[in-house]
Amino acid sequence: MSTRDDKGWFAIREPLSQSKQQILVLLSFLGPILTWCIVSYTPFIWHPDIRLDISAQRQGVSTVFTAGDHLTKSYYQEFEQFIRDENVLILEQQSGKAEAPKNLSKVRRDNIKILRQLTPIATKQGWLPKDEKIPDEDLIALWEAIATKPGGFEKLNALTDENITVIENNWNLLNRHYQETGSLKMVSVPLQKLVPQGVPVNPVYLPAPHEVLQKGWYEFTKKPENDKPSMWSRLRHSVRIVFTGFLLSCLVGVPLGILCGTYDFFSKLFEPFIDFFRYLPAPSFSTLLVAIFLAHDAPKIALVFVGTFFQLVLVVSKTTTLLDKSLLEAALTLGAKPKSLMTRVIVPGILPNLYNDLRILLGWSWTWLVIAELIGVKSGLTEFIETQGRWRNFDSVFPVIFTIGFIGFFTDQILAQLRGLFFPWTGEKVSFILRKWIDFYHWLTGGRVNVTNNQHLQGSQ
Amino acid sequence: MTSIDLPDYKRQSSDVASRFEELKNRPVKLEVKNLQKIFQSKQGPVQALKDINFKTHRREFLSVIGPSGCGKSTLIRILAGLEIPTSGDVLLEGTAVKGPGPDRGMVFQGYTLFPWLTVKKNVMFGLTIAGNSETKAESEAMQWIELVGLKKFADSYPSQLSGGMKQRVAIARALANQPRVLLMDEPFGALDAQTRAHMQSYLLEIWRNIDITIIFITHDLDEAVYLSDRVLVLKANPGEVQEMIEVPVARPRDPDQFLEPEFLATKRHLEHLIHPPSKQQKSPMPITRMTEVGDNVE
Ligand SMILES: Nc1ncnc2c1ncn2[C@@H]1O[C@H](COP(=O)(O)OP(=O)(O)OP(=O)(O)O)[C@@H](O)[C@H]1O
Ligand SMILES: [Mg+2]
Repeated sequence: MSTRDDKGWFAIREPLSQSKQQILVLLSFLGPILTWCIVSYTPFIWHPDIRLDISAQRQGVSTVFTAGDHLTKSYYQEFEQFIRDENVLILEQQSGKAEAPKNLSKVRRDNIKILRQLTPIATKQGWLPKDEKIPDEDLIALWEAIATKPGGFEKLNALTDENITVIENNWNLLNRHYQETGSLKMVSVPLQKLVPQGVPVNPVYLPAPHEVLQKGWYEFTKKPENDKPSMWSRLRHSVRIVFTGFLLSCLVGVPLGILCGTYDFFSKLFEPFIDFFRYLPAPSFSTLLVAIFLAHDAPKIALVFVGTFFQLVLVVSKTTTLLDKSLLEAALTLGAKPKSLMTRVIVPGILPNLYNDLRILLGWSWTWLVIAELIGVKSGLTEFIETQGRWRNFDSVFPVIFTIGFIGFFTDQILAQLRGLFFPWTGEKVSFILRKWIDFYHWLTGGRVNVTNNQHLQGSQ
Repeated sequence: MTSIDLPDYKRQSSDVASRFEELKNRPVKLEVKNLQKIFQSKQGPVQALKDINFKTHRREFLSVIGPSGCGKSTLIRILAGLEIPTSGDVLLEGTAVKGPGPDRGMVFQGYTLFPWLTVKKNVMFGLTIAGNSETKAESEAMQWIELVGLKKFADSYPSQLSGGMKQRVAIARALANQPRVLLMDEPFGALDAQTRAHMQSYLLEIWRNIDITIIFITHDLDEAVYLSDRVLVLKANPGEVQEMIEVPVARPRDPDQFLEPEFLATKRHLEHLIHPPSKQQKSPMPITRMTEVGDNVE
C-alpha cells in the first residue's frame, strides 16, 4: 500500500506519515507492556525463582520457609536435596537400621508440623476451606484420602509422585499405629518429610500484570482501615504538595526570570548565585527545611520549591532573552516607552514559550514528590509505597507508581493540547479531538465556534 | 553588455530640473550633520560611519545604497534613534533626535510584526500607545489596512500571511502613527522579484497620496533608481558619502521606464560607483579544470 510519495520508515529528518506515526506511538506503549506480559506468563522465559507450594523444615536449621516464599532455583534444588537426604535417614530410623531419636515429644511435635505442611497447597487447591483454622482431624482425613485415593485423582495431579509416595508411607505408619493404639497423635516414630514443591516464577519485584491490576483496583476501591487514609486522599495530598510547591516557585520565579531576561542589572545580580545554588542537591536540605518549617506539609512543599525554583528562574530568563530584540525596537519606533515594553511586548511575546517551560518544570516538580513526602512525617502516596515496599508487596506498589506516572503524563498531554487553543497565533494545530470537544461545548451553550484553523494564506499581492 | 550611447546621468530634462528646483525649496525634514559612529568591538574600534552630511526635504524619496557592510543599517538606526552616534547630530525639523519616537516610522527587513496580535491590532499598536481610544484606534487602523489592501485579513495573525502581505502590514503600522519620516531598511529584500515589483508600485502609490518623507535603504540598484528622487551612495571602510545623485527619470514612474536612457545611465553610474571597474579585472581562477578540453561551455 505504498504510494509514490511514501518516504518509508527511515527517512532522515523527514516526519513519518500520520498512520506510521500512530502505529509507532501505539508500539511505544505496547512494546514494554507486551514484554512484561511475556516475561510474566511464559514459564520458560526467565522465571529465575521458585515459589514454594509445599515447604519443609530442615533438621537443625533455624531459617523457616513457608509456602508462598520465593527461593532462587539453585537454592531450591539444594533445599530439596537436603530434605531427600533427611528422608533417607528417617526411613532407616523407622526400620530400626539407624538409631531413632530419644526425645519422643519432639518427634511428635515434628510429625504434626509435617502433617500441616500440606495445608497451604490444600487450601490453594480448594481441598480444604480457606481462611479458617483447620483442625488436625480434617488434615489427617485429607492425608488418608490422598493415600487411599478414593476418587482423589485431581488431587494427585497437584502433588509430585515423590510426595504421594511419602504420603502413602506416612499414612501406612499412622494407620498401623492407630490400629494398635487407637490414637493418631501419639505416633512417636519420625514421619517422612514432604519434599518441597514449587512453581517457577519471576522475582517478587516483578509481579504479573493481572496481579498489579487486581491489587490496584483493590487498593483504590477498598474502605480505608481505621486511621489510615484512603488511596484517593493520599493521592490528593501528593498532588497538593506538588502543585503548591510548583505554583509558589512560579509565583516568585516567573517575575524574577522575566526581570533577569529583560534587565542585565537583575541578570548579573541574581543569576550567578542561582546558577551556583541549583547545583546544591535539594534533598540535602530536607532536615534543614524540617527545622525551619516544622509543620506537616510546609517542609515538603518547600522542598519541591527548592527543587524547581532555581531551574525555573534560569529557564524563564533564557526564554525572555530569546525574544527577538527587533520586536522591542519596532515597538520603540511606534512610540512605546521603555516601561510599557514589558506589558505590551515582552510578556505577550514570551507567553507561549513560557507556557512550555512551565509544562516542563511541572514535570520536574513531580520528580521531587517522593523525596518531599519522605521528609518529616512520611505521608501521601510515598508513605504507602514505602511501607508496602518494605513488606515486599510490590503488586501494591506498582499501581501507585503508575498512578503518579499517569497523572504527570496526562496533565502534560492536556496542557500540550491546550496550547494551540491559548495561543492561536503560533499557528499550532488544535487537535481533532479537542476541536470536537470545543464544538460540542459551543453546541451545548449555543455559542459560536471560533477555533482558528490556521492555514498559510497566499493572498494576491 | 554592448555599449550603447547613454546620456550623461547628470543631464536633466526641463520637467525633472524644475521638479528638483521645487523640491529644494521645500522645508528640510531631516538633516544629518557630521555624523560619525565608531563601534567598540572585541577586535578594537570599528569605524562604521564617518562625516556623513545630507538633508532631505519634505515629501522627498531618498534612497541609500552602498556595498555590504558600509553602514547603511547603522545610519538608518541612528536616524530612528535606536543607535546613538559617536558624534554629530540628526535634526528632525530642526530639533535634535534623542531616541526612538513615533515621529519616525521604521520598517525593518525582517517583518517584526507582533506575532501575537492580529493584523488590525498590530496596526492599532502605535495608536493606542499614543492614547487614542480603542474605537478611534480601530477605525483609523482599518483605514490604513484598506490603504495597503489587506481589509480581508484584518483579523488574521501574521503567521497566516505571506511575506509581501506582512511587509504591507508593517508599512501600514508605521504609517498609522502619521510619522513625518518613514525609514525603511531593505524592506523588500526578502521578497521574490515579482512580489517586490508589486510592493514598489504600492509604496510609490502610498508616497504619492500622503505627506511623508521616505528614506529607503536597498542594495538593488533598479529599485533605488525606480523609486527615488535622490540616491545617497555610501562607500565602505569607513562608511562615507561617496555621492548624492539626482535621479533624472521623470515622474510619475512606471515599470516601462526601466529601459529609458536616463534610467540606464543612472544605473550604470551607480554600478560603477559600487563596483569600480578597476576591481573587476579578471584574475586567473585558482580552479583546476576537471572537464575535458573541447568541452568548453562558452
Ligand atoms: N553592534 C555592532 N558592534 C560592532 N560592530 C558593528 C555593530 N553593528 C555594525 N557593526 C559594524 O559596522 C559596519 C556597518 O554595519 P551595517 O550593518 O550598518 O552595514 P550595512 O551597510 O547595513 O550592511 P548590509 O548591506 O550587509 O546590511 C560593519 O562593518 C559591521 O561589522
Ligand atoms: Mg543592513
